Amino acid sequence: MLKRMLPLLLVAAMALTPGAYAQEPAQPVSLLFWHSMSDEAGVLVDKFVTQFNATIGKDRQISVEAVFQGQYSDATTKLNSILTAEDYAQLPDVMNLDATGKVAYFNSGRAWTLDDALAADPGYDISQILPITLSNWEFSGVRLGMPFAASTTIMFYNKTMLDEAGAMAPETFQDIISLSEKLPEKSAGGLDVLAYSVVPNTPTLANWLGQLGSYVVNNKNGSEAMATGLECLENGALETFLTEWKAMYDAGALTNAAGTTDQFVAGQLAVLTTSSSNVTSLLEKIGGAFELGAGFYPRVNAQASDGATVSGSCVVMFDKQDEARKAAAWELVKYLASPEVQAEFAAATGYVPVNTAAQEMAEYKALVAGTPQYAVAGEQLAITPADMKSVTVGPAKDFYYAIQDNIAMMLDEGLSVAETVEMMADDLQGLLYQYEQANK
Amino acid sequence: MSGMKRRQLWGGIAVQAAALALGLVIIFPIVYGILGAFKSPAEFSAYPPTFWPESFAYTRNFRDAFARVPFLRFGFNSLVVAFIGTVMRLLFAVLAAFAFAFYDFRCKNALFLAVLATMMLPGDTLLVTNFLTVSRLRLLDSYLGMAITSFVGATQMFMLRQSFLTFPRELKDAGQVDGCGDLRFLATVLLPMSKPVLVTLFVQSFVTLWNAYLWPLLVTNSNHMRTIQVGITMITSFEDTNYHLVLAGVALSLLPSFLLFILLRRNIQRNMTGGALVG
Amino acid sequence: MKKAKPYLFVLPILVFAVGFVYYPFFKTFLFSFSTVNAKGVITGFAGLDNFTYLFSRRDFGIALRNTLKITAINVPVTVFITMGLALLATKKRRLSPVYETMFTLPMAIAMSAAAMIFKVLLNPTVGWLNYALGLDIGWYQSREYALYGILMLTVWMGIGFDFLLFLSAFRAVPDQLMEAGTMDGAGPRSRFFRIQLPLISPTILYVALTNMVLAMMVSGPVIILTQGGPARATTTLIFMMYNSGYGSANYSLSACISLVAFALTFSLALMAFWVERKRVHYQ
Repeated sequence: MLKRMLPLLLVAAMALTPGAYAQEPAQPVSLLFWHSMSDEAGVLVDKFVTQFNATIGKDRQISVEAVFQGQYSDATTKLNSILTAEDYAQLPDVMNLDATGKVAYFNSGRAWTLDDALAADPGYDISQILPITLSNWEFSGVRLGMPFAASTTIMFYNKTMLDEAGAMAPETFQDIISLSEKLPEKSAGGLDVLAYSVVPNTPTLANWLGQLGSYVVNNKNGSEAMATGLECLENGALETFLTEWKAMYDAGALTNAAGTTDQFVAGQLAVLTTSSSNVTSLLEKIGGAFELGAGFYPRVNAQASDGATVSGSCVVMFDKQDEARKAAAWELVKYLASPEVQAEFAAATGYVPVNTAAQEMAEYKALVAGTPQYAVAGEQLAITPADMKSVTVGPAKDFYYAIQDNIAMMLDEGLSVAETVEMMADDLQGLLYQYEQANK
Repeated sequence: MSGMKRRQLWGGIAVQAAALALGLVIIFPIVYGILGAFKSPAEFSAYPPTFWPESFAYTRNFRDAFARVPFLRFGFNSLVVAFIGTVMRLLFAVLAAFAFAFYDFRCKNALFLAVLATMMLPGDTLLVTNFLTVSRLRLLDSYLGMAITSFVGATQMFMLRQSFLTFPRELKDAGQVDGCGDLRFLATVLLPMSKPVLVTLFVQSFVTLWNAYLWPLLVTNSNHMRTIQVGITMITSFEDTNYHLVLAGVALSLLPSFLLFILLRRNIQRNMTGGALVG
Repeated sequence: MKKAKPYLFVLPILVFAVGFVYYPFFKTFLFSFSTVNAKGVITGFAGLDNFTYLFSRRDFGIALRNTLKITAINVPVTVFITMGLALLATKKRRLSPVYETMFTLPMAIAMSAAAMIFKVLLNPTVGWLNYALGLDIGWYQSREYALYGILMLTVWMGIGFDFLLFLSAFRAVPDQLMEAGTMDGAGPRSRFFRIQLPLISPTILYVALTNMVLAMMVSGPVIILTQGGPARATTTLIFMMYNSGYGSANYSLSACISLVAFALTFSLALMAFWVERKRVHYQ
């Protein structure tokens, strides 16, 4: 009798525990995943999605379609258009966003954030995700999305050139000045040798002011609420940075132009600061012409701390008002942050694995052992102060260009540091004020 | 007399030589771009830069580009969108130009200026509102949705009007006496005589629509509806430019418009007798 | 019925012009006098505040100057080059099909593709041009040259179509007129100024007008090649509109800029038509 009743009891028990049942979507779910990964990374994303569909997807009847939506800014433009049109049916389930889309997503009214997902799935161990990458996608105290492609700015140098000049890899702006005195005039190809060449913008300013313990704008660089003013004036951080920057320029060690990978690869530029995710392509382009050195991002002065903010992109989920879809989207997001995916992604592109367990995987270990340049970004992120944050402001592009303009004017037209600080404050505060007024 | 003939002969050769030399200067960037598609990354980073690739047998760039982008499908989509847009644009332009050239009616000048002024409105400001309209018309992710914003061709209308103005009005009136309706006059007399302008406008408009990037990206959501210009951005990576791959993509995207162009050019050539734009 | 006919012919293009150009433009117009939030929703009336703010911005003056400079150079240079090429090619010769195809080929190249090629070609280290000519110019990296780098691309892109227009115009000049000129003892130069030039004046007007509009609206090459830089050296009005609108969520400001660009272009066009009335020769 009991034996005959058992299946019935089991069914009744399952029906009474809805949680257990909801985990298994009965209906097949097809998800839309928008991404902005092109080139090698784009090929990999397609591969990951195919793998997901064949394994977890097959078990849970989820099939994901990955769609390339143009570069991050194009995808954000598209997101904004959909939100303005209130045509929510067009939203994807999962989307790959960079910093340009953060606020739009937060205000979309259709965000199903990482924190929401974690509340629904307390079993997931979020501590395996690198904390500094997690906090980078926080806004207003809410963790918006899962870090996916994480990178940071590091320093690359032409080790062959430096060795020949008898110079060490620079650590501070002052070191770059001493380096420039030792470098030859002309490169092997006959081009004028430059020590360092870069035009500061929003992210670089966030790095260097961050090293000095200051934010660029208030509300922790706009990560807690919309920024309404500058925070680097009264503490003197902006002035310190500009003074050191001008000194580097006046000493002839700095060229006021966007230093390019091309110049570096051609042996014209000694020091290049760029995203750590360029390791693979740099090595490929240099092709053994010289030895590629990699080190930590240069510091403003000897008192400044090491480090640079996280850049790259995350994956966010949208609330399509269907529990099964949300559960399925979360499965995909977890998969994209899994050690296996992150290790493979890092090995092929040079991004930092966001899952700490990925660093223990054989694939990643072999990579770092063979090409130590890959390890620098991870080591630098580990010692970067946890409260160093990238800048989120409403008038993002105007802000970016205003910083570049003002610094260019200081160097090209010989304005004093004090004058530059004043002009920059006017321009940047003006932009923030305008945005605040329009979005009250 | 023979001296003068000889002078003419040498003069002709000199003119042709000069024209060829200028022609080479003009197509130089195209040639350089296509040659670049055969260069390896190492060739691009070596200084001094080279003009010729080391070997034309280096086709890895094309294979890599094809592996990243379904060029055939994207090319087909671009073809359809550019074709629908061009045909509709020319159709509307022909009708309007016909009215502006052959009729007198109230508000003619105002209406003419109203069409012409569309040329001077920056397209990007119209983007979001048009997205809204197309989304309300339920045309997202469709060929029509991608093409519909290009149906107004002020340039085309203006050029056709200029061309139609060269035909005496009596031609139309004479036709009417013969019992020939206006539209028949347009179709059987005017259009055949305006073939060179029409072909030129067709090619020009087709290439412009083939170029479009942001709008087709906005109104399509799925992979199988993407156009070729989106494909090119799939090759370049976000933080770094891979010149060798980009140029391979550029070369591939040029192929169809080149073919169309060379096919139709001969057509223009044959028809280049009519007074296209002379008063 | 008969009276309605011309209106029926004009109707289709007007319907689409209203639906997809004037209606969105009207919204732009409203934006320029309103406070608009980051979502693109009007939240209040702003009067002329947006315009005052725009005119007070340093980058607006720079963008305006750059745009006018591009227009002032682009239009005459394009007319000069394409007319010269057409004059050279007017008479049909054995190699005509070859060089005519060469002259028209730029027309078949997509703007984005052309921009990519120029980016490589003019790159100071990767590109071949500087090396071959022994120059040391950072075409898209230096403040002095970047605008000319952009102009090289815009002029080059315009060559094909405008050459075709001039070619067909020159070829349509009746041979008898030219021969009569020769009989009267007119040399090539006076035949050009007294016979050909007046006859092709409608084409000149057209080429100048379309190039003017395109030059006033230049943004694509700037977005791809220089992002308006270095230090705003290539920021044009439409680029600024793009940057402040989509890039910085200031939709009312970008609406103001597009109104300014429209007003400038429209008045330049009206001037061109006024010249047409006075000077251009229709048979």
